[in-house]
Amino acid sequence: MTRAARRAAIAPLVLVFLASCSRDAAAQAGLESGRLEISAGAAWLGSQTFGSASATETTSSGGTFSLFNTSSEMGSAWAFDARVGVRLAGTLVVEADATFARPELRVTIANDVENAPSITAVERLQQYMIGGGATWYVPRRNRIVPFVTGGGGYLRQLHDRALLVETGTYYQVGGGILYLLSSHPGNRLKATGIRADVRAVILNGGASFDGGRHTAPAVTGSFFVRF
Amino acid sequence: MTGRWFGRAIAIATVLAIQAQPAFAYLEFGVTAGGTQVKLRWPQAAVRYLVTNASVTNVPVADFQAAIARAFASWEAVPTASITYQFGGLTAALPGRDDGLTTLGFQNRPDLDRVLAATSFVVDAATGALVESDIFFNSAFPWSVAPSGEANRFDLESIALHEIGHLSGLGHSALGETELRAGGGRLVTAAEAVMFPIAYAVGSIAGRTLKADDIAGISDLYPTGDATSVYGSLSGRVTKDGAPIFGAHVIAFDPVTKTVIGSFTLNAQGQFSIGAIPPGPRILRVEPLDDAEIDSFFDASRTVDINFRVAFSDRIVIVPRGGDSGEVAINVVAK
Repeated sequence: MTRAARRAAIAPLVLVFLASCSRDAAAQAGLESGRLEISAGAAWLGSQTFGSASATETTSSGGTFSLFNTSSEMGSAWAFDARVGVRLAGTLVVEADATFARPELRVTIANDVENAPSITAVERLQQYMIGGGATWYVPRRNRIVPFVTGGGGYLRQLHDRALLVETGTYYQVGGGILYLLSSHPGNRLKATGIRADVRAVILNGGASFDGGRHTAPAVTGSFFVRF
Repeated sequence: MTGRWFGRAIAIATVLAIQAQPAFAYLEFGVTAGGTQVKLRWPQAAVRYLVTNASVTNVPVADFQAAIARAFASWEAVPTASITYQFGGLTAALPGRDDGLTTLGFQNRPDLDRVLAATSFVVDAATGALVESDIFFNSAFPWSVAPSGEANRFDLESIALHEIGHLSGLGHSALGETELRAGGGRLVTAAEAVMFPIAYAVGSIAGRTLKADDIAGISDLYPTGDATSVYGSLSGRVTKDGAPIFGAHVIAFDPVTKTVIGSFTLNAQGQFSIGAIPPGPRILRVEPLDDAEIDSFFDASRTVDINFRVAFSDRIVIVPRGGDSGEVAINVVAK
């Protein structure tokens, strides 16, 4: 991910954080009530560029002769996201999270030596991200609570009909807001709400052609219940 | 006998000792033994060879033998292939004689004015196993064994590397580009297989290094114990307007390692197969066989379709570990 793209991904996160901090609504219990938080929702994972490569042959002087060029990327994709969090102390929550997506791996082929038309070859992956992290909610009594979050875990990407498995790791950092829909500190179900966050996700290894790290933005919206 | 041709030559694969034809892989010889098609290969792990005790201008016997040894060592160093070679000493015998000895040496054949070197075989007709294979280097051409090559001389190690590929059972690869010369013949623009039938120009030593295509070929013929579980294969079918075509050249590009490996459609169903390749994604490109003479690859009885446009598969093909990709269908259109 370029520096500009990374900046673009982080900017909305900062805006969300600042906007939510500036609100001053009626106090609500709920932020610190309940110990277990379960959430499920949808995420959008941004695309990652894997760079370009050329199919070449060797000339008699040891140089290269290009047959065609390729540029590769993992397309953006919708994902299912689930989390289970346990409040450790105050507003610090440790979480386990799992995300499933089916992004498209795309290779665009161009500049063929025999003028074959350009084409994009595709393949749909199954991508699993299973890991953990921590979320810190800004201490305030409000329906809208900003938070920052970070973590990482295991990346598993399955090619075509699970013919080949690629593994790696991921790390993520970001923040967002939590909006309390209901709060019943005396009940077993102590609170419900929705949560939205923006993250920078760094994938390391996996199906990446260069085996390197690639950063993509991610946006998640989920519904949560707290016990 | 199958030979290596120099830049001006029209490449052919002349077969004397056996009926050579590509097997169901990319670049291997096949023979019919006992009514069935088998791959031409050595039955034993170590192939013993002799070197003719005769020098030519600019190439003393010791240097000749050393260059040959380096070429054998290159093939032997392929980690996923089990074949080994053993130098049995110098001999007065000449290559090309049916004497049960695998012999490499010079012969002066000015009549073969486009043949730099050639490999011949003696095959057990019952089993299809190689019994003997000889290589002759045509001393009518100028040769070099200099480490950096020499202007106006052909690099002996490069040509030996190619011929030893034949000696081991490999046929020609079509991974190369040529251009027609005004005076006839072809000039190699580039190649990505030592087993490309036309040699680099004089002075070049670019042919001393095995490429992914060569490595896959020798690994498919002589896999090491764990190669079959670690490596995989891909297969598919090429059609033109729905009808299968024979002799289409299929290139598999690995975007991870940036290497290419070639194959052909080799039957009436238009099917191809590439074995012993590392798992991972591949981009498939299909092209007509137009960078060398068709009889460098197939015997004259086969009709090879070259009337179609280059095309790519629209899917990324996955080579699994220890398995096959499943059939990949590619359709091409006529020129």
